[in-house]
Amino acid sequence: MQRRDFIKIASACGLGVVAPAAAAPRKDALFRDSALYDGVFYVLVNASGGWDPTSLCDPKGTLDSEEGVTSANPMNKSYLQRDIGRVGNLSYAPVGGNAAFFNKYGSELLVINGIDTSTNGHDSGSRHIWSGRLAEGYPSFGALVAGARSKTSPMAYLSNGGFDFTGGLVAPTRSGNTGPLARLAFPNRPDATPSSTARFHADDSEALIRNAQRARLSRQRAKETLTAYSSSFGLLFAARTGEAEVQNLTTHLPTTLDNSNNPLRRQSQVAIAAYKAGLTVAANLNVGGFDTHSNHDQNQITALQRLLEGIDFLMVEAERQGVRDRVVVVVGSDFGRTPGYNDGNGKDHWSITSMMAMGAGIRGNRVIGGSDARHRARGIDRSTLAAVESGGLVLRPEHVHHGLRRLAGIDADPIVTRGFGLVTDELDIF
Amino acid sequence: MTHSWRRPQIHITGALLLAAAFGAACGDPVAEKPIEETDGPGACVPTRQYFNDEVWNPFMSTTCFACHNAQGIAASSDLVLQSPNQTGFLDANLAIVGDVAAFERDGLSILLLKPSAQINHGGGTVIETDGPEYKALEELVRQLRNPVVCENTGDDPFVGVNLLDNAGTYRKATLSLGGRLPTAEEHSLVSSDSAADLDAALDGLLEEEAFYVRLKEIYNDLFLTDKYRNGRRGTELIDRSRFPTALAYEADFPPQADRTPEQNTQFQRIEARTNAGVSQEVLELVAYIARNNKSWTELVTADYMMVNPFSAKSYGVDDIVEFADAEDIREFKPVSIPGYEHAGVLSDPMWLNRFPTTTTNRNRHRARMVLKHFLATDILRIADRPLDSAAIAGLNPTLNDRTCTVCHANIDPIAGTFQNWNDTGAYKPPTDGWFGDMFQPGFKDETLPFEDRLRATNFLGERIAADPLFALATVHTLYKGLTGRDPVGAPTDPSDPAFASKDRAYTAQDAVLQDIAAAFIDAEFDIKVAVKGLITSPYFRAASAQDALLSTDNAAFLASLGTAQFLTPELLDRKIEAVTGYPWKRSGTDPGRLLLRDDEYRIYYGGIDSDSITTRITAPNGLMASVASRMSLEMSCRVGPRDFVELPENRRFFPLVEASFEPEDENGFAIPAAEEAIKHNIVHMFARVLDQRVGLEDEELLAAYDLWRAVWKDGKAKILAGQELADLNPSCRVERDYFTNVDLEESKRLRRDPNFTVRAWSAVLAYLLSDARFLHD
Repeated sequence: MQRRDFIKIASACGLGVVAPAAAAPRKDALFRDSALYDGVFYVLVNASGGWDPTSLCDPKGTLDSEEGVTSANPMNKSYLQRDIGRVGNLSYAPVGGNAAFFNKYGSELLVINGIDTSTNGHDSGSRHIWSGRLAEGYPSFGALVAGARSKTSPMAYLSNGGFDFTGGLVAPTRSGNTGPLARLAFPNRPDATPSSTARFHADDSEALIRNAQRARLSRQRAKETLTAYSSSFGLLFAARTGEAEVQNLTTHLPTTLDNSNNPLRRQSQVAIAAYKAGLTVAANLNVGGFDTHSNHDQNQITALQRLLEGIDFLMVEAERQGVRDRVVVVVGSDFGRTPGYNDGNGKDHWSITSMMAMGAGIRGNRVIGGSDARHRARGIDRSTLAAVESGGLVLRPEHVHHGLRRLAGIDADPIVTRGFGLVTDELDIF
Repeated sequence: MTHSWRRPQIHITGALLLAAAFGAACGDPVAEKPIEETDGPGACVPTRQYFNDEVWNPFMSTTCFACHNAQGIAASSDLVLQSPNQTGFLDANLAIVGDVAAFERDGLSILLLKPSAQINHGGGTVIETDGPEYKALEELVRQLRNPVVCENTGDDPFVGVNLLDNAGTYRKATLSLGGRLPTAEEHSLVSSDSAADLDAALDGLLEEEAFYVRLKEIYNDLFLTDKYRNGRRGTELIDRSRFPTALAYEADFPPQADRTPEQNTQFQRIEARTNAGVSQEVLELVAYIARNNKSWTELVTADYMMVNPFSAKSYGVDDIVEFADAEDIREFKPVSIPGYEHAGVLSDPMWLNRFPTTTTNRNRHRARMVLKHFLATDILRIADRPLDSAAIAGLNPTLNDRTCTVCHANIDPIAGTFQNWNDTGAYKPPTDGWFGDMFQPGFKDETLPFEDRLRATNFLGERIAADPLFALATVHTLYKGLTGRDPVGAPTDPSDPAFASKDRAYTAQDAVLQDIAAAFIDAEFDIKVAVKGLITSPYFRAASAQDALLSTDNAAFLASLGTAQFLTPELLDRKIEAVTGYPWKRSGTDPGRLLLRDDEYRIYYGGIDSDSITTRITAPNGLMASVASRMSLEMSCRVGPRDFVELPENRRFFPLVEASFEPEDENGFAIPAAEEAIKHNIVHMFARVLDQRVGLEDEELLAAYDLWRAVWKDGKAKILAGQELADLNPSCRVERDYFTNVDLEESKRLRRDPNFTVRAWSAVLAYLLSDARFLHD
């Protein structure tokens, strides 16, 4: 068997073999910027722990105030059904910062309700929501689109947590303190200020070293017979290809990063700067606090408010950096929370959930799908995508991901079709 | 360089137990089953393998498992099979199938009668009596009466896999576990092909303190108690109602506002030392058990905890434990706190706080962690099968609805054994007893005896220690630590075109890990036996595969071999110092190492902070590549010239050349002797930095020589043209001691590089320090 055939087969098996890259760049291409990514930026915002859609975009409420006090079984003790807020075609729970958020973004916002994740496990739920498949083995949407669009970018897929399995398509990057970034952007400079002339090695020596490195790594990959090594070396090769472009990031980062207790703010600043620098295709933003098994209303609403403020911060930052029209934001969580409350005024795990999306190419002011009064998924009409009283198609994360792939224009990409296809109904979701 | 692997003899215990169970159920005398002789390779197929290959994979995993699982409609039958997501599923399923098969009607096993609907079967006819499935079951029933046990199956999956030789294996082990290179004596010892010599060398390595540090790292990836390492985050978690002296040192100082700077410094020093004791007590237990060759089961059964001189005061036991040096924060001693419900890690406040509970969670999170940490079971994977929320109805589904009980029947009994520990890890037995609306406290099928309720965690620890999965979980944890990879999981989708390949990968690895676990148990849970088993296994030693293995059928198997671990920040930090002799810091006098500081490169390089970042990035990205680049460029600049000021016999990198050696004279004529010396020195560098043997005509040697020559010619030409200085760059000059920053005597200084040779050598060193083989394990 030819090595090329073997690698192809191994890749099809999901073994994470990175395809051989194009010919090694020439010496003068070391600091090129021609490959910088300027397509749509995909931001996946994960509400970690399992949010409660009935406290956000699929409101139910309590019939009357008495029920909220006396019964353990109301859907939401924090508001009455008659107080549910409405903006255009959207409804929202009248709690926390929902009104401000929906009023500001309602015209852009797509709400998908009544999604059946078929699980109430954190890991499996998160995996299903962000990969479109309940079983293991599929990459997150962020990894998929990054792999299809710009796998050699040094920070193609920025992850702050949540489900970020990549299936070997692309290496995730984790953002840390920004102080050392300048030194990493200019690894041959003892003093990393851009004007510094000091070097560890002469510039021409560094170029010779890097060319020799690249050639050796190519030889090593070609000779490896164990997939584990050839795959790892392939990822290193890809990582090095765009290494020098990291210095672009330093020019777009704010002078001072946000240091508030809302992690989404800081994550947004780094993500937008990385995209602006042409390094990043997709980013996972992640915020916790949603696994509210006790004191649900107090803790869940606080967490949701932090989430919405973070998304607002992201959009404002995108506007400030002049990229708002190229950003797609998708918001989701592991699953939903049970109808009614437990003994500790908490809500446990529930497999029905919602997702929200807005941004480039997404038609806003729309609601797809729905759930009944006890937050059980209702089927949808395949053409109108509206919830129907009985029967209909039950929405699953697979449907959403099929739509996301079409939105991103990667549904026919070989990376997607060869190893990560979805067998599901095609719905015009986005 | 490489040699082949021979699998240890397989274990027969399970098969004989099966025979015993079958015979007992039938009322027959237990058949004494002789070990079958083999006529040749592949002639003997043990019953376990037959069950996997001919019954489970072809149809039982789909046709039968669809209903006969804990969530299925046959969940109340006698045949409830485990999912491949559950560790040990194959043995468990073989056992339950054996139990069912033992029942007969008219001389025929119900394992045959039921699925063929010869007697009432809820699922009707699912296999035909004249079909291949029925024949396979017939043979299985026959074998269950007389299990086939093979001394040698003749089927060695590792034929064609080239392994590191003893020397290569030992170097890899010393770097991974000892953070150093082998000594000359060790190198001599392992130069033979003798397994005993390698074993002896490993015995010595595993006695070193560095090994215990590594072991703590591996277990912190699991326990994550380093979250409490800073400030007083650990000390604050001690139950002050029980240990009023937890923060007693505060009483020795005035309030913060009134402290002098000196008092404040002293206060912070004691606070940090106390916290160092408290926050590290779980990981120090790991080290203590290993260091003293105690049974690894003490991890969950120890009737003591670890304290240093400062944390001993916090726990009020400083009067019953003696320390050699009362100021040494690294001196940990075991102590049994009177009246404390010690159960190793399970009762430790750091572990209990790291995995907290709530009034409604009722210790289920802790139970999940017990299953994950000590029983190789990811309980959430069992629930991966789609569930229907609309079908969950009725009161208390976690107790009554099989959609929920599939997990809760496993979780809730264990959760109940933590009943005496509250959400902050304080021992507070519930005054009104444990919840009645959950599965009752216990372990698997055993209910916690009422008289044990106040020592429920001890009950749990004892059961975990006696469970075969404990040994396997330990081996899995070590495997992940040593290779950076999770063990291969059993494939779950028989329709996957790669199913056979994946099953082969799983089966081969599972057999090796089970063997190591069995040896670990036989050695009375000596952790070093498990570590040595993994180091000498093909999964640590695999270096390459022969052409005959490169087929589609072997794709998943080949992918499972070798470590190929992109080094963690901790491993790379130690490797840099081991190979270069110098740690990577901003300056030699800086106490912090760049790869170990969260505010420097640790997080960028894929590391964890044990708090919000708890999983490592194992595949390099652009920033990680930048970290590696900076390291190689910086360290080669700082370290290369220093090597030249040493005597040749003391040099690490350049023992065979001098800075004056140039391969051409000023007129461009070759100087063969110099060129040969340069090449020989590059050979030496490949061996030292990468453990790679290259010959003088090797492609890799010539590529490195070309780099040296290109850098040298370019630099020298620029010096002559006045475009480059004859002095080394300031960062690379040797003028002060690396570690003390004290001025060096003149003979030890190096500032000039008029021929650019020192820089050419530094370039080759950078090339090797950034090599994929240096950055990977």
